[in-house]
Amino acid sequence: MANVTIYTTPSCVYCKMAKDFFQKNGVTYKELNVAEDEKAREEMVQKSHQLGVPVIDIDGEIFVGFDRAGLSEALKIQ
Amino acid sequence: MYDLLIIGGGPGGVAAGIYAARKKIKSVLVTDTFGGQSLVSTDIQNWVGTKSVSGFDLGKMLEDHLRAQEDMEVIDGDLVESVGDEGYKFIVKTKNGKTLESRFLFIASGSRRKKLNVPGEHELDGKGVAYCSTCDAPLFKNKVVAVVGGGNSGLEAVGDLLPYASKIYLLEYSDSVKGDPVTFERIKKSDKLAVIFNAQTSEILGDKLVKGLKYKDRQSGETKELALEGVFIEIGALPNSDFVKHLVELNKFGEIVVDHKTQKTSHPRIWAVGDVSDVLYKQNNISAGDAVKGILNIYEELGKN
Repeated sequence: MANVTIYTTPSCVYCKMAKDFFQKNGVTYKELNVAEDEKAREEMVQKSHQLGVPVIDIDGEIFVGFDRAGLSEALKIQ
Repeated sequence: MYDLLIIGGGPGGVAAGIYAARKKIKSVLVTDTFGGQSLVSTDIQNWVGTKSVSGFDLGKMLEDHLRAQEDMEVIDGDLVESVGDEGYKFIVKTKNGKTLESRFLFIASGSRRKKLNVPGEHELDGKGVAYCSTCDAPLFKNKVVAVVGGGNSGLEAVGDLLPYASKIYLLEYSDSVKGDPVTFERIKKSDKLAVIFNAQTSEILGDKLVKGLKYKDRQSGETKELALEGVFIEIGALPNSDFVKHLVELNKFGEIVVDHKTQKTSHPRIWAVGDVSDVLYKQNNISAGDAVKGILNIYEELGKN
């Protein structure tokens, strides 16, 4: 099982879409709310070199935004 | 081969799909996502029959209603890239490499965000330059930001930023705010907001992250600079009509010109609705209603042939 972390804000739709996508495909993930968690925010900026959400970390591979095709490939989802 | 290929998953495309399915027109709908541009809206209060719904939930409602139709084929997570006309059918190619054939085409592809096209905008995209205030406003806690554009989406962006940012400059190109007075009255009460009129944004400054913004005061001709860490660009939309521009008449804004009685374009086998068309008012409810018109007209045409 891949190690998946998603950095989100509560109002972000693309974050919800990404989480929906994980749930539909049985992917377990850790969610960090960067609106509240400043440490997570710094970590997110450091990993992605940018300020937009969602940022998704799959075993160290970083995705910015909800890139369904990219995530499917990384998670081997058909 | 399909009788009808529908492009778009907003209210226009989905309404077209539902009506086409009920008329037993052999159809396929191609879209990236469901919900259209309202997808990122936190609260929609004018979708008729629903007091309040988020863009995300509206997208789900639309998708559920469409998928409940029998004999309706749906291809999502994909985009139409090119359309070729063979005289009696269209050959449609998608980003994921699918090739589809259809007699008629129904375009509800909506519009996309307009960019400023100034130095620094592209380089600092995601590094302080942002296009989704509902998504990214919390990341600008205690920071000075600017919103470029005084239309409805600009005013709403200010509203999204007010709980977080320490100061917000609203830069408007003309000498007045173009958005709804109700929204402007509400945000104007905050002392965090400074409105700058006649401001033409000329450059976004910064190296790794946004540090400032340059604009020209259109009255004095003077160039001024603001020190800030975020820029939200909300200057309107461009219609997604590029892939059919060789087939249908467009107006000077790039919108597809339609007959407003039937939604038919200048091409005898192409119809268009919603924000991609030259409809006067860009509204979810209107896109859905116009789509119904278009499908009923297509149903009549199919009966004739």
